[in-house]
Amino acid sequence: MSTDLVQLDRADKLFHTRHFFSVDPKTGKRHFYQKRPIHAVREMEFGVRAGEIFGLLGPNGAGKTTTVKMICGLVRPSGGHVYVDGLHVEKKRLQVLRRVGVVLEGTRTCIWPLTPRENLAYFGNLKDVRGKVLRQRTDYLLDFIGLSEKRDVQVRQLSQGQKQKLAICIALIADPPVIVLDEPTTGLDVQSSRAIKDKVVEMTREQGKCAVVTTHDMNVAQELCDRIGIVKDGELITCEPTEKLLDIFSEQVYELRLDRHPDTRLLEAVPGVVSTELEDADDGPTCLVKLDPDPELRSQAIYGTVQTLQQQQLLLRSIQQRQQNLESVFLQLTNGHSRPGATE
Amino acid sequence: MGFFLVLKAEIVRGLIIMRRYWFASLTGIFIGYGMLLMLIQALVYGSGQIEDMAEQAVDGGLGFIIGIFAFGIVGLFTQGLQGMARTGELEQVCMSPHGLVTNFMARSLVAAVSSIFSLSIIIALIAWSVEGTLYFAPLPTIVLLALTYLNLIGFGFMVGGLVLIFKQTGQIAMIIRLAMIGLAFPAQESLEGWPISLRVIVHALPVTNASICLKKVLIDGAGWAVLENYAFYFLILSCLVWTTLGIACFRYMENWSRDKGTLGAY
Repeated sequence: MSTDLVQLDRADKLFHTRHFFSVDPKTGKRHFYQKRPIHAVREMEFGVRAGEIFGLLGPNGAGKTTTVKMICGLVRPSGGHVYVDGLHVEKKRLQVLRRVGVVLEGTRTCIWPLTPRENLAYFGNLKDVRGKVLRQRTDYLLDFIGLSEKRDVQVRQLSQGQKQKLAICIALIADPPVIVLDEPTTGLDVQSSRAIKDKVVEMTREQGKCAVVTTHDMNVAQELCDRIGIVKDGELITCEPTEKLLDIFSEQVYELRLDRHPDTRLLEAVPGVVSTELEDADDGPTCLVKLDPDPELRSQAIYGTVQTLQQQQLLLRSIQQRQQNLESVFLQLTNGHSRPGATE
Repeated sequence: MGFFLVLKAEIVRGLIIMRRYWFASLTGIFIGYGMLLMLIQALVYGSGQIEDMAEQAVDGGLGFIIGIFAFGIVGLFTQGLQGMARTGELEQVCMSPHGLVTNFMARSLVAAVSSIFSLSIIIALIAWSVEGTLYFAPLPTIVLLALTYLNLIGFGFMVGGLVLIFKQTGQIAMIIRLAMIGLAFPAQESLEGWPISLRVIVHALPVTNASICLKKVLIDGAGWAVLENYAFYFLILSCLVWTTLGIACFRYMENWSRDKGTLGAY
């Protein structure tokens, strides 16, 4: 049995849309009634361990929300299995719901006419937490997230960031081992966003929970997530630790600062060099050399490039790897430029 | 156990909101009273009859109140469910480990008790205003109200289940809800004179038998003698049918909705 708190085992979701009096986009034929399949999630496989923050990134309509909803039991997979804390989500759904806390996009979780304390009491009862435990948990969570002073203020009077903090408290009221955060920092200012990120890190690291985060904000993913899965057209195209994902791509591009323009045809002839590009600056030209991702070929390519520059009697002022950020990695992957070989 | 926990949560929430919005609750009662009084004036006193005016006014008023009660309870499963889906509250309720059916049962019970409380004040005010008589037999009334509630939530679950899948059935449900007010208003044993096919349809709707029985107890002062009326047994029968059918339909639709990925969304 896997030790992962969340595990997707070839989870698949096929939806059907129904159309009346429509034109088939593929054949151009007119139909009175047509049922079209949409493969929202294709054989998704990943696991999330305790203490880990897993980020799910992808363009709109990639299948992130469907994946998250399969973990929460809101969507039934068409194929494969989803496990939470070792329990099959379909077979033990009600037990699974006790183990998952969900923060949905925006601030839709809270009941606005109630105060944070009343909201926590209400959702605590819905999640089977009651009596002294509920009171202690309410006090602890409001203190943990920094809402103690606002405990008796109606939610409608709270700021966006405070509402989002309350939504996190609601998700945590039953002390679930798994927390799912759908766009947790959307619409928040820098301070609120930072506070929420810090609290998510704190609760996963110190309390041994695991978090599954979907976000469009690459900075959030880069700062927050230990591991990132990138989804495109319902398929998990990569699933790697954040640092490794950045490394894979950053290692490919080198910046060579030279005293004059090199002959790029000679450089491109070096085995392992994929492409070159010249950029002019005030202090001389910079040659961007993109190398093959294979480590062995890459070292040969670096050696060959330096040799070729020497043969052209060029002065190599400096050489450095180009730093990648998650946004450029994401764009390269989702635009289909290249893929890291292994997916988990 | 889960039901009582959810019930407690709903009661606390209801009380807090009622306390916080007491002025709106109070004015709601008076607006309801005023509007119903005007309706009675137009339909009963405006008809030109002289005999048993007060009795007819209370009869019509009670019928209308029962119709409003049915309208509200069934509405909780249709427009209420859609509203919850829009605000996102439904997604949270769907993720409660007690299940959606338990949640809605508790939610509707609290709504029913609160409606009965405010509607009772309105009908008492109406009876006082038109100098009519209302008989109060606590136990038979509670039994009948409980059966009415079960009948309505059974029907509500069925319509609500349909709304989970076919979002636009909410509009059809609105027509049915309005029809229930229309039926409860004049419902009495005189329905016996109606064509058999129409009688079957009318008696199949959850509010007709309830309305007949409640009028027997509250207006005619029948008390436990209501047990001698055929409508009481129709009420029990429709209660069993609607509740079983409604919950089964709702559960089936809930699973179908999860399959379609539309559970909790609108």
